[in-house]
Amino acid sequence: MFVSDSERVIAKQFHENGFVIQPVAELAQFARIRQVVVETAASFLGSEVVNEESFLNQIHEQIDVDQLNSLRLHVIRQMNAQSWFRAAYFQIAKPVLEALVGNELAMQLRINLSIQLPQDHSSLLPVHADVWSGDSPYEVVVWLPLVDCYRTKAMYLLPPEADQQLREEFQNYAGRSSEELFRRISEEVHWIEIKAGEVLIFNQNLPHGNRVNQELETRWSMNCRFKGVFTPYGDKRIGEFFEPITLKAASRIGMSYRFPKMQSTTGDT
Amino acid sequence: MSGFQGYVTSRAFQGQRVPQHVQNLVIRDYCQSHGLRYLLSGTEYALPGSTLMLQQLLDGLERLEGIVFYSLFQLPENPPARQAIYQQVLKQKKSLHFAVETLALQQEQDGQRLEDIWGVFQVMKHVPNVQEML
Repeated sequence: MFVSDSERVIAKQFHENGFVIQPVAELAQFARIRQVVVETAASFLGSEVVNEESFLNQIHEQIDVDQLNSLRLHVIRQMNAQSWFRAAYFQIAKPVLEALVGNELAMQLRINLSIQLPQDHSSLLPVHADVWSGDSPYEVVVWLPLVDCYRTKAMYLLPPEADQQLREEFQNYAGRSSEELFRRISEEVHWIEIKAGEVLIFNQNLPHGNRVNQELETRWSMNCRFKGVFTPYGDKRIGEFFEPITLKAASRIGMSYRFPKMQSTTGDT
Repeated sequence: MSGFQGYVTSRAFQGQRVPQHVQNLVIRDYCQSHGLRYLLSGTEYALPGSTLMLQQLLDGLERLEGIVFYSLFQLPENPPARQAIYQQVLKQKKSLHFAVETLALQQEQDGQRLEDIWGVFQVMKHVPNVQEML
């Protein structure tokens, strides 16, 4: 394989751990993304912001669970309405995406935002792998925390080796619940520790999720899926979920090429 | 009568069949969240290959601000026919919207964006859904 040493290292980590954490490739773009989220949330709440990170971490002092979804949807709508937003998100993870996925990419059309208040039972994602719900196994998730995340304020991921064992027992879980599945893997999952200004790229084929945030701070994180543009799609299709973002000239030429029409002289069709 | 007319189809398109009332709900929701005035929908005839209703909407474009399709993939499959529609709409300073994809044609470069999606779609549509291979 003609890959550089640095790409080989990243690929090995991704294979072995199921994830890679890197500093964001463009700090200015990260700052821009966080700023738009903070400003939108502050205007929704009518709040003054002195320190962005504290504002986000302590948002539970200004909002309760009943208002949370309205805030979340408002911020998602506003951030995705910025024409530069998705390009900035891509720039943050571009080098690692190119190492792990490729340089002709499809990106999710709308970036998601999670806000997980301390002790909130309403924003939980039960254990799942995206591929179990119709995603293509060729996708990766770029997960961007806007605040430091640790222990239950973060997400968990089942490492590949443990996933392999779980797959062998999977038939035993027919008719049982996702909570029972979580209990089976709870000792084996890896809780991601990541700081604001870093980005996580993880293998969404591995079981992952979150639990009630038992910490004293609120989690704010974004997630967005990427895949090779010419790799197979699942139920999340090109156009309605994914969009090509880095098509190269040769692909554009190939996609539009048709043979010239010729009149047969032999009667063959 | 300024506003946006919807465009829904009564037959399957690109392997998808969506009930008309669901297409209309999606269009209505798109218009609401994008601040567009929705003027009901034109329904394409079920005859295979028909674009008669679409042509009707395009012919009456001067009375509208634009057209909101349920999906980008309700446009004609033939690239020159799509290009002709883009050119007509932009020349008249109108817009096209695609509710499921939340995409729009409002300026020249949007056409390339839509064609990139169409191009990849056409290449990949013969690849089975990956779920069937797992």
